[in-house]
Amino acid sequence: MNSIAWLLLAVFLPVVCGIVILFLPGTPKRNQLIGVSLLSLAVSMLCAFAVVLGGETKVCLLRFGGSLEVYFHVDGLGKVFAVVITLVWLMAGIFSCEYMKHEKEEKRYFGFYVLAYGILMALCFSGNLVTYYMFYEMMTLMTFPLIMHNKSREAIMAGLKYLFYSLCGAYMALFGIYFLNRYANTLNFVPGGGGLAADGHTTLILVVVFLMILGFGVKAGMFPMHAWLPTAHPVAPAPASAVLSGLVVKMGVLGIIRVIFYVTGPDVIRGTWVQTAWLTLSLITVFMGSMLAYREKVMKKRLAYSTVSQVSYILFGLALLNPEAMTGSLLHVVFHACIKSCLFLSAGAIIYKTGKTHVDELNGIGKEMPLTIWCYTFASLALVGIPPASGFISKWYLAGGALESGIAVFSWLGPVILLISALLTAGYLLPIAIRGFLPGADYDYAGLKKKEPSGFMVVPLLVLAGCSVFLGVFPNPLTQYLNGVIQTLF
Amino acid sequence: MENERILLAVAVFFPMVAGIVSYLIGRKSKKLRDGAVSLAAILEFAVMVLIVARHGALGASCTVPGVCGFGLHFTVDGFRALYGAIAAFMWMMTGLFSEEYFAHYRNRNRYYLFWLITLGATEAVFLSADLYTTFIFFEVMSFASYVWVAQDERKESLRAAATYLAVAVIGGLVMLMGLFLLYHQAGTLTISELYDACRGKNVYLAAGCLFFGFGAKAGAFPLHIWLPKAHPVAPAPASALLSGILTKTGVFGILVISCRILFHDALWGTVVLTVGVLTMVVGAVLALFSIDFKRTLACSSVSQIGFILTGIGMQGLLGEENALAVQGSFLHMMNHSLFKLVLFMMAGVIYMNLHKLDLNDIRGFGRHKPLLAGIYLCGAMGIGGIPLFSGYVSKTLIHESIVEYIELLREGAVTPVLLGAGSMKLVEWAFLISGGFTVAYMCKLFFAVFIEKNSNPAVQEKYDAMNGNYMSKKSAFALMVGAALFPVMGIFAHATMDRAAEYVKGFFGLRHIHEVSYFSFANLKGGLTSIAIGVFVYLVVGRLWMIRKEENGDTTYVDYWPRVLDLEDYVYRPILLKALPAVCGAACFVLDNIVDVIAKILPIVGSVGASFLDTFIDTIVVFLRKTVYKDSPQPKELLEGNALTYQLGNFVNHVVGVLNKTAWRDRPNEKDYTHQYALAYTSFKENTSLIGRSLSYGLILFCVGLLATLVYLLLVLIGIM
Repeated sequence: MNSIAWLLLAVFLPVVCGIVILFLPGTPKRNQLIGVSLLSLAVSMLCAFAVVLGGETKVCLLRFGGSLEVYFHVDGLGKVFAVVITLVWLMAGIFSCEYMKHEKEEKRYFGFYVLAYGILMALCFSGNLVTYYMFYEMMTLMTFPLIMHNKSREAIMAGLKYLFYSLCGAYMALFGIYFLNRYANTLNFVPGGGGLAADGHTTLILVVVFLMILGFGVKAGMFPMHAWLPTAHPVAPAPASAVLSGLVVKMGVLGIIRVIFYVTGPDVIRGTWVQTAWLTLSLITVFMGSMLAYREKVMKKRLAYSTVSQVSYILFGLALLNPEAMTGSLLHVVFHACIKSCLFLSAGAIIYKTGKTHVDELNGIGKEMPLTIWCYTFASLALVGIPPASGFISKWYLAGGALESGIAVFSWLGPVILLISALLTAGYLLPIAIRGFLPGADYDYAGLKKKEPSGFMVVPLLVLAGCSVFLGVFPNPLTQYLNGVIQTLF
Repeated sequence: MENERILLAVAVFFPMVAGIVSYLIGRKSKKLRDGAVSLAAILEFAVMVLIVARHGALGASCTVPGVCGFGLHFTVDGFRALYGAIAAFMWMMTGLFSEEYFAHYRNRNRYYLFWLITLGATEAVFLSADLYTTFIFFEVMSFASYVWVAQDERKESLRAAATYLAVAVIGGLVMLMGLFLLYHQAGTLTISELYDACRGKNVYLAAGCLFFGFGAKAGAFPLHIWLPKAHPVAPAPASALLSGILTKTGVFGILVISCRILFHDALWGTVVLTVGVLTMVVGAVLALFSIDFKRTLACSSVSQIGFILTGIGMQGLLGEENALAVQGSFLHMMNHSLFKLVLFMMAGVIYMNLHKLDLNDIRGFGRHKPLLAGIYLCGAMGIGGIPLFSGYVSKTLIHESIVEYIELLREGAVTPVLLGAGSMKLVEWAFLISGGFTVAYMCKLFFAVFIEKNSNPAVQEKYDAMNGNYMSKKSAFALMVGAALFPVMGIFAHATMDRAAEYVKGFFGLRHIHEVSYFSFANLKGGLTSIAIGVFVYLVVGRLWMIRKEENGDTTYVDYWPRVLDLEDYVYRPILLKALPAVCGAACFVLDNIVDVIAKILPIVGSVGASFLDTFIDTIVVFLRKTVYKDSPQPKELLEGNALTYQLGNFVNHVVGVLNKTAWRDRPNEKDYTHQYALAYTSFKENTSLIGRSLSYGLILFCVGLLATLVYLLLVLIGIM
């Protein structure tokens, strides 16, 4: 089969499978449902791997109006995102098999879960802004049912908040696309930007680009439009939170990368107020997210604030517009996806086995579920940036890039804020592990019951925690690949 | 070379692997695990000794490519090898001692796992060839050693461990900032290249950040707070290592700054000297006031680190002539590691027998225990700088370096940087007095534990009954070997300590070491001054002031140290845990909710706006009707009287009302004047109309009369005619 067929299969097979699962008659048996879902995920993932291993594939599917087309183009950046998504999606999927036992209406959950995977693949492989925008909106709609899964009033309100924020962001992006369609040479993604024909409209273009950054920034949880994350995560099922926080928010990042580095080109905003504003907003978000996480007591909400903060590390690196910082950003995309999904899944395992959601209740949890909390601990250390775990590597590049950039104030303020945020990260993640493993001398060892969850939960945790450490110890292949991608952009 | 390379890798990674293996063994058999752990420590020591012995091959390096991006780089020189060997030696000794000490502890498997991982990381720090590697293993070491401090999981242990971790994390992050800056400016982190790479560049900020990070680990003021908190609660073997070796990794880092990045930099030397002197004095005072055995030792560590830092500061100030300072600071570093090994293990002996450390509780424990007393005395005299013990040599060297610098300043051979000869004289006295304090607090411990009797005779009897069976042979061996080193090294100073200094001088950039005759009068003078001060201070403060006589004749040690001077409880914790989070948290809370609030307000504002637009024209009409097209007001119909009488009456009513309340209170006037005036008006109107009518009647009559007159006149006229 040729590569185009693989590409189409990778995108549309999960979509079709998802729809089929959704419309399965009656309530299917649990094992069958899980079997079908995992099988369709696995097959789609094999297709996705075939695409990733193949070369640069381009295919134009549809053309509406004169110039608008649905166009796929597999490039290096998309492949990185696709691999990360595939890995984490699979792990969270396996985790769901066990976790969803205590939720109802699994059919709907698995249907949308499989479907959304296809949409995310489409986003990775989109070849122009129009296609990207189309699937971006679709992603919002397809992940919405995952958030409001348990249909409590709270969940529905959270889902609606997610929907409104996302739509608001998407419209800002759409607004930008209108203008870029007029002024950009092409809406197709060209490494380094296809160039603009907008002499005399500099201000307009800057405003438009800024709006697009803000718009895609909504998904990425950038201040001021981050508030959907801490609302949506605590109510969603844990594996859904994991993919939401680990992957879906990254699609906002991908959107920004595509606009800045593949359509307009980084030089358009270099040194302008847009860059300054972007840097400022991302740094505010980094600090604010960590601070709020530090003060938050509900575990999943704390992790959600943490995501707000961490994704803005990535945005900060992008906003610096230099290769070294961008390496840091893309590394952090990969690392954060593994780490944060591991953290959310361990929070899920704790909820599933003990029903505890509050961090103060977790005393001695490490004695009850040692493997789970070990995974949590390693992921936490990686997120704080303790070498040799992975977060350290990305922060090294980010700080190096910031100092390298020489932008007044930000070149030193950036690293300082990153480090303060790292300190706060240690402050909000490590006490859970510490209290878990060192419950105090008065801990009741006699009443200790082992509550380690089954393999369906532990194996994904081990894999993700392993990745977050392993990628830090041996980052060079990944770094080199990313450098190859980044070199084409500057 | 190939063999050295393998040896280096083994030195670093073998303990870590051994840790994991022994952990797995420990799940099956505890006895086997203890054996495996001891064996691992002994093997590690053997490896390090091998590295030291193969002196000819120094400069060997080992690279593990690709790890953490830049790869790990290890190298070995005299200083690194020797210190690595000391570290392994201490691990081995505490390992021998741990078996007995931990016999009744829970979670020992965990302890040993992290104990061995820390050993590997510590070796890696000493052997690291670039600061990147140093930093990686520094962090591993900090986190792994956290577990020991918290080992027994009591409330205060957990709190102290949290302090330790917080200092480690904050220090680590500031150090990382320093590395960012240094890498940006110098373009390399390889220690051997740093001198050339940093020359002519202003790297003080980077160096300052690194100093903060390493200083936090070393226990330099004002980041010494973790030592007095962590040591009393950590298990004794762990304290020995924390104090003896882990603080020295911090000193190692400071040496890298002072001997590579800012080599022979007088300004930098002044900074380190200032911090060193403060640390030295603060630690000494804290130790003197403490009445807890291990806390005293911990504060003593702070003070001794201050001595070492003073020596390092002098290295920078003296520049090329710094042989004395180099020898002194290195030897004191080495000596202090060994002192604290012995003293903390000895504290461990007390603790494992009594589970108490307060001087009032353990008083009299050491009576009639000559072995323990001997061991303690060796350590105490060593650290106190008594001649013929090793501490005397290192302290004398540092002291002489200060004296030398003062002389150079007086001769004008060096230009003073910030500190002139007068201030340096102060530094010298601070040095001697701190040395005296060392003697004083070691005396205090000695008299309390070994001479005085416990205030409770029953307890004293119990203590005396322990003679002969208070520690196992293995532990006694470990303690004795350690303690025997001090007199040997002190007496054969040239054969042992000078050779050690000779061995390590390359690291410090020193060409030739300076042979000193340690027992000449000039050199003895400083040491003896210190001892004299010490004896005096002990008699005045330790005996007269700190010991309070109770009414029943007993004496107790009193802790006079004011609680408010606790930097951690009254400054750091309130600021870092309360004030800053509260302020920043409030600000972030506002930022967090800004959009949601706007999202709530916007619909309200919108609906108000829309309804405004909706009724815009109506509003105009209403407005006009209210203003321009206003209907004229309906005149008010008065029941009686007219407007004038009404207003007037009203006015008078009010006046009368006021008067009724005041002047006429006794006989109030109840009349309604509007009515009165209206009546008056009515009568006036009636009268007027009456008058009018009468007048008009008169007029009519007048007119009739006039008319009749006119008619008569007419008639007359006609009659006449």
